[in-house]
Amino acid sequence: MNVETFKYDNRIVRAFAIATVVWGIVGMLVGLLAAVQLFFPDANLNLQFITFGRIRPLHTNAVIFAFVGNGMFMGIYYSLQRLCKARLFSDFISWFHFWGWQSIIVAAAITLPMGFTTSKEYAELEWPIKIAIAVVWVAFTVNLIGTILKRREKHMYVAIWFYLATALTVAVLHVTNSMTMPAGWFKSYSMYAGVQDALVQWWYGHNAVAFFLTTPYLGLMYYFLPKAANRPIFSYRLSIIHFWGLIFIYIWAGPHHLLYTALPDWAQSLGMVFSLMLIAPSWGGMLNGLLTLRGAWDKVRQDPVLKFMVVAVTAYGMATLEGPVMAIKTVNSLSHYTDWTIAHAHSGALGWNGFLTFSMLYFLFPRLYKTQLWSTKLANYHFWIGLLGIMFYIIPIYVAGITEGLMWKQFNKDGFLQYPNFLETIVQVVPMFRLRAIGGTLYIIGVFMMAYNLYRTAKAGEFEPDTEVQAAPLEKTSSAGAHGKLSWHRMLEGKPIFFTMLAVVAILIGGIVEIIPMYLVRENVPTITSVHPFTPLEVLGRDIYIREGCLGCHSQMIRPFRSETERYGEYSKAGEFVYDHPFLWGSERKGPDLAREGGKYPDAWHYNHMDDPRATSPGSIMPRYPWLLTQKMEVDSLPWRLSALRRVGVPYPAGYENGPAQKDLQAQAEKIVANLKLGSVNAEPDKDIVALIAYLQRLGTDIKNAPVATVAK
Amino acid sequence: MEQKVICGIEGVGIYGVISIVIFFVFFTGAFLWVISLKKNYVQHMEELPLDGGEKNSTDKNQPTNL
Repeated sequence: MNVETFKYDNRIVRAFAIATVVWGIVGMLVGLLAAVQLFFPDANLNLQFITFGRIRPLHTNAVIFAFVGNGMFMGIYYSLQRLCKARLFSDFISWFHFWGWQSIIVAAAITLPMGFTTSKEYAELEWPIKIAIAVVWVAFTVNLIGTILKRREKHMYVAIWFYLATALTVAVLHVTNSMTMPAGWFKSYSMYAGVQDALVQWWYGHNAVAFFLTTPYLGLMYYFLPKAANRPIFSYRLSIIHFWGLIFIYIWAGPHHLLYTALPDWAQSLGMVFSLMLIAPSWGGMLNGLLTLRGAWDKVRQDPVLKFMVVAVTAYGMATLEGPVMAIKTVNSLSHYTDWTIAHAHSGALGWNGFLTFSMLYFLFPRLYKTQLWSTKLANYHFWIGLLGIMFYIIPIYVAGITEGLMWKQFNKDGFLQYPNFLETIVQVVPMFRLRAIGGTLYIIGVFMMAYNLYRTAKAGEFEPDTEVQAAPLEKTSSAGAHGKLSWHRMLEGKPIFFTMLAVVAILIGGIVEIIPMYLVRENVPTITSVHPFTPLEVLGRDIYIREGCLGCHSQMIRPFRSETERYGEYSKAGEFVYDHPFLWGSERKGPDLAREGGKYPDAWHYNHMDDPRATSPGSIMPRYPWLLTQKMEVDSLPWRLSALRRVGVPYPAGYENGPAQKDLQAQAEKIVANLKLGSVNAEPDKDIVALIAYLQRLGTDIKNAPVATVAK
Repeated sequence: MEQKVICGIEGVGIYGVISIVIFFVFFTGAFLWVISLKKNYVQHMEELPLDGGEKNSTDKNQPTNL
């Protein structure tokens, strides 16, 4: 038989492995800094660049796209070559992919602390970086499909299906959610507004979790778990159902992030039902992983790689049961906006993604360096300290989340809110925030131990840049089965492009059924005649609100519960957000909702509160924002901003940005300065704080005077 | 108010029906497909990750205590 000799590329795998460890440490340290600020706000050192609102997105982006992203590419590039019995399609593309991805991460690490953000969760990076992401992602996809096309193994193992689904779906999600109108180099406004923007964002956000944190890692599980246990997967048939079930159902579940909001009810119910159905494929996959170890549990006792994998797969199972439960509307009414969500996210991130990444690193380094792991004992210590870290992280945060939810909803026997002051409910859970930081610290100590262990392993061994192997080339055969009978299935996975198209159709069905009605809704959202576009000063103030990441802690969405309307006022209506590019509903309350903040406090209160929140609200965990009092607002860019907003549909009159807008801005700023004087505050009209006050005082006031909604035709 | 929004869309009920039909057909098909797979094919697929084509190189040097 004709046998070809070729080489697997280990250099690119090592590069991504090192990047995984480095960015993992960075991302987790930033997370720890954010966690500490929640009980010690001065930990930001009064620097705007490392204040909670700006580093929270930095943390999420770093762990998702830098740590898990690099870990994903490391595992895919290692397993893909071996499953296809082929070197990667192009060395040039591999390295373009590697350096491109690292540059994007560096760009994110610079721009997010500077406050350049779109405010959309997990999609915060501004438009030039978004374009770079698309280009690098295309390179990855070309490398992936190219390698598959030149494979020497006839069949595509299920792991490759997961990789393909990841590459294509992330591309679709990224492009759809990144539709923005630039207003300068690092500023843009979402094409979508309000309800529509919220639905597109959470269709993206939910599926970013699905297709960035889940499907690629499931593919990796299907490769590395059998490999490490040295036994085949429990059921290959089950893995097929797992794959199709997961990619088909996952895409529908996005609206569960928006239950009880102003999103139409049918979309909410759809999201809830499909979330519940997700339990089936997810648990099928988890059991498939765990049952692979049947009869091999003695190995788990000795091998740290398998230990990490068992916890990872178990965490996957727990998180994918909890997620659907949280998507039940009744449960969600308690859990939403609380720390419960944070606990849920971290059981998945620390357990599933973190531990699976660690297991792959412990698996790969000895193989790449042709040696044994430097210290199995240290790896075991890492396992236990990591596990302890997860427990210390999530348990206090679950307690915090449920406490918050219950306290927000508690009425006394006279029918008034038991805890009318929001601050009381946060002060109550601050001790839990402290414990959480201890958990996070333990987890990071484990990662440092791993980094040292891997470093010593590398030092002890000799790196093998290429692994030379031999395999027969793929013969050109018909799609006939073993007995000459046409096998539909084999034909399907023998044709990767066709297979890919089918997978895309599977994910698009859910997307289209959800998104098309939303386009129709755009014309059907009842407009409220008293809702007007923001004034120029308010636009600048809103952009400051976005820049500082205020929505990381404050929602702008009052749900239709008595506990919320009593606390915050009239519940939020879809028609109130028609000029919100982007929507700022938020997903977390570390502070009160601000949807009806306008007019609640005098201007001077806001000024003093931003200068030092603890001066006006003793015990508050909000950071100080003294720089807003001294920094000049960005009036020069106003024309760019207004014309970009006009282009996405906000009805500013033509030419408004060249003169009249500046006059209006000046007049409104002077008025606020005069108000501040009444409160014994001397401020200049050109400072950031004036714009922010204008915006905060506007929030929710549109319908206060005219609450009657009319459908405009 | 949500109801006003939803009723405003013409023929929106069809989306729900389409969804459930697609869903049912999809999973019945997937199930039939899977049970019709040949045993030797499934076995080959299960063993794919264990092979990797590098038995003559690094794998024989693999650490055993890992």
